[in-house]
Amino acid sequence: MAEVVAAFGVPHAPGFPALVAREGPGCETAKLFAEVARHLDAVKPDALIVFDSDHLNTFFLDNLPIFSVGIAETVTGPNDQTRMPAYEVPVHAALAGHVRATGIGEGFDLSLAQDFAVDHSIMVPLHFLTPRMQIPIVPIFINGLAPPLPLSKRCHALGRMVRAAIAQWPHDMRVAVLASGSFSLEIGGPKIPHGQRAGTPDPEWAKRVQAHMQAARIDELLEEATSSRMLRAGNVGGELLNWIAMLGVIGNRKPRFIEPQIEHGHAYGAWRWD
Amino acid sequence: MSVYAIDKICYRALHDLAFREAVKRDPAAAIADLPLTGEERQALLAGDVAWLYERGVHPFLMGHLTRFGLFGLTVMTYSERIRAARDPR
Repeated sequence: MAEVVAAFGVPHAPGFPALVAREGPGCETAKLFAEVARHLDAVKPDALIVFDSDHLNTFFLDNLPIFSVGIAETVTGPNDQTRMPAYEVPVHAALAGHVRATGIGEGFDLSLAQDFAVDHSIMVPLHFLTPRMQIPIVPIFINGLAPPLPLSKRCHALGRMVRAAIAQWPHDMRVAVLASGSFSLEIGGPKIPHGQRAGTPDPEWAKRVQAHMQAARIDELLEEATSSRMLRAGNVGGELLNWIAMLGVIGNRKPRFIEPQIEHGHAYGAWRWD
Repeated sequence: MSVYAIDKICYRALHDLAFREAVKRDPAAAIADLPLTGEERQALLAGDVAWLYERGVHPFLMGHLTRFGLFGLTVMTYSERIRAARDPR
């Protein structure tokens, strides 16, 4: 039977691959990704559920899903001209289809994507965590960028549904979960600093989110992470929903490791129970 | 208000190389046939991102314009202007 064996959360700034190529494996970004990758390698997952907020590249405002599951043989990216290698990643189509069907049966109206590419928000994490792209993914998209956003509680419930779907999968499989995103980040909006493209308008919120995760205070996190609170932390603050969905999959566990970079409004984390 | 049309222009600035090059060459001509009001056209050509933001254009998408220096926008002018914007109506 399939089981959830670990979960991870990372940011995905598009500048990371170039930064690490320039500064080498000793830089802080490289070291933090390496630490998460070490945990990921240790649990030897057969598949990786990826909760991600597309940055209006895979989907657009003409037809925007709140939740969508990608079901294909492979997916390519990045499709947004991020300066990094191009990849083709296997998708676990059977598991993705099972998750989607289970979700629909549980009342989650999950949109379907079968012919799609993904942007840096998936490819930057995979570039660092699974550079050989050997682990098939199940991409689950959550609208975190174009308000109105889905509720935190609904995203957590989505995660719990994914856990149930995995438990019902009738094959031996070790499944890990990856959440991609920041807690406080403004891109192109009024809260950016002078002379910058992006900024961290609300490091206090990022710190609070990280502290709740550190202590597994999930109910408090869900209570506090309203749409308006997340968006006050930046117009990309809804990316927290990916972490919340990931926490729904694994239940109220404390992380094995969680390292905040408060000044950047994000954190790196790994949850293991082996 | 054709917010969607402007969001789409920003999207195409990133994803449609021919369109991006056309905007670089002759911004007014590149958007001449697109369904914008006179005010929107004027705001876009002037790089008035605060005005566009206040009317609901997605700021993440407008950031694409700066990335390619379209409509006269640089990181500096963009940040100066958007920081002065009020909340969208």
